[in-house]
Amino acid sequence: MNELPASLIKVRDLTIGYGERVVLENVNFEVRRGEVFAILGASGSGKSTLLKHMIGLLPPIRGEVLISGANIADAEGADKTRILRKFGVLYQGGALFGSLTAVENVRLPLDEFTELSDVAKDLIALSKLRLVGLESAATRLPADLSGGMQKRAAIARALALDPCILFLDEPSAGLDPITSAGLDALIRGLAGGLGITFVVVTHELPSIFAIADRTIVLDPTTRSIAAEGAPAYLREHAPQQWVRQFLNREAA
Amino acid sequence: MRRPDRNGQCYLWVKGETGQGIQGFLRSIKLLRCGSRLTYNSDQRIWMPTTNTFDPPVRWDLRTGPANSATLIFEGDLDANSTPSAWAKLDVALAGTRFSSLEIDVSGLSFCDSAGLALLYHISSGGMTPNAAVRLNGLNAELQHLFQSYSAQDLRALQAHEPARTSLPEEVGSATWAWLVDLRQQIDFIGEVTVSLLAGLFQPRLMRWSEVMRVFEVAGVNALPIVSLLTFLVGMVIAFESAQPLAQLGAQVFVANLLGLVMSRELGPVMAAIMLAGRSGSAFAAELGTMKVNEEINALRTMGLSPVRFLVVPRIMAGVLLAPVLTIFAMYAGLLGGVPVLIGLGFPLRMVLRQVQLGLHFGDLAEGLSKSIVFGLIVASVSCLRGLQTGEGPRAVGESTTRSVVSSILLIILADAVFAVVIYTLRS
Repeated sequence: MNELPASLIKVRDLTIGYGERVVLENVNFEVRRGEVFAILGASGSGKSTLLKHMIGLLPPIRGEVLISGANIADAEGADKTRILRKFGVLYQGGALFGSLTAVENVRLPLDEFTELSDVAKDLIALSKLRLVGLESAATRLPADLSGGMQKRAAIARALALDPCILFLDEPSAGLDPITSAGLDALIRGLAGGLGITFVVVTHELPSIFAIADRTIVLDPTTRSIAAEGAPAYLREHAPQQWVRQFLNREAA
Repeated sequence: MRRPDRNGQCYLWVKGETGQGIQGFLRSIKLLRCGSRLTYNSDQRIWMPTTNTFDPPVRWDLRTGPANSATLIFEGDLDANSTPSAWAKLDVALAGTRFSSLEIDVSGLSFCDSAGLALLYHISSGGMTPNAAVRLNGLNAELQHLFQSYSAQDLRALQAHEPARTSLPEEVGSATWAWLVDLRQQIDFIGEVTVSLLAGLFQPRLMRWSEVMRVFEVAGVNALPIVSLLTFLVGMVIAFESAQPLAQLGAQVFVANLLGLVMSRELGPVMAAIMLAGRSGSAFAAELGTMKVNEEINALRTMGLSPVRFLVVPRIMAGVLLAPVLTIFAMYAGLLGGVPVLIGLGFPLRMVLRQVQLGLHFGDLAEGLSKSIVFGLIVASVSCLRGLQTGEGPRAVGESTTRSVVSSILLIILADAVFAVVIYTLRS
């Protein structure tokens, strides 16, 4: 919601991996403000690893990730907190704290980072839960929520501090098609209604065609980006045949 | 003081003469807010902030109109930083007013986030002016969308919600039931383990010896340094503590005998077993607990494999084999810990060793080793049982790990007491 540059995230010459093993090499792409950007690829292509580097959980081997112009890997202390406040993350399993109710999970960042009154924090937490359609489950523990509800509650928690970017790691994984479609609609609604930028890691093709404005397709053999563009365009016009087959769910 | 530059830094020039309290000012500077103007109060001889040089992030103007109506006009940034103080000040400003209608105009706001919207919602839902009809104007479409997600009804439901409480009889009943269920599971487990263990011993090919050796190495060989260090230090402490009272009786030389007996009969096996419970038993419980949470135990069951035979029996076998080894190391390390103390007290090494030899009999060693076998069996089986009893979620793994250590140590001490009574009876 702040004034931000057109390119909210810039990934420059990024080489990432685990120890000696390089997963992706010299990757370059940009995520524009307000778009839903999907990172696509086969299992093991490095999608989740790339996401972990984008949110600063892992240090890159080379290159940099700039969020609103600030390099997350180099930032420390208050600078790092300032960058972290710009985004929220939805992890694959939701990562809700099991001992806290849904509303307490959403309130947690507000308790830690603001000096608002209890009423204000409750109002905000409940409004986030209402945004994701979970207002009636506010006092339930994560163990009492279904998989889809847990993910929606985790999105509400990620929204608590009004981030301008949401990173979603496999949001539709393990969900039935109807719940998955509901989650897609929620993402589109949040992107359109609140102007939040989404970076979504997934290999769920229906989700990508439903929500993504642009996508990159990772190639595990060359350890680089095979194609970049609108999913519908790439499905027909990607330069590599395997990318077209991948997007059309055709066996090679 | 000037406005902060691009790096968020501002500069302050302090100019004054001796006696004007510059040191005191520098001490109190942390109390000043950015943008404060300072004046020197010659009466109190102190620098004090007067007015704000910069405009506050959010401003409001409360204009009263005809027929008890009022308009509240907001300007600036209403965000998570400015909202708490704005909320508190407006609470005071609107308290006691008798407006029949209040119009909130937010068209002058340059920025508003969820915290600002919470304040606007609180005012517009009558939180500050309960008797007034409140109308909110000037929200843009994006904020309007967010504003609609605020609900006083949800807030009331949350405030009315009370966590379910159980009465004392219910708690006693459920605790008793849980204890009975646990007892039944223990009996089932002991039966299943006994059958699987005997089957493994009589048909060795059924035993997963590679797993036994892996556990033996991880839980036993890797534990040798810490067990040895701990019992060495314990031996040293016992030698020091017993030397003084025995010296009063002229029996300091018997410190070696005492140490030998204590380490072989009691402390060697007990210390080794407690270390085994804390280091390896907890690991067994956590490992099996995580496997249960990850549904690996269910996977074994659906493949027709018994989790007890596949996972528990190798660990118990390893526990029974490695506990005596750890105990022997603990005994020797404890004795070694006493040796430097006795040498320091003036006894030659040969004399110390001779005393240990005289004081110790095969029965003492057999007592310690037989205890250690039982302790190893207790630690491994209790830890595995607690691991298999793990409930849902990561918290359950922590709980089962704690329960495994507590139960193991409790049973070790209990078994040690039983051993003491039985051996005393046999000796007498």
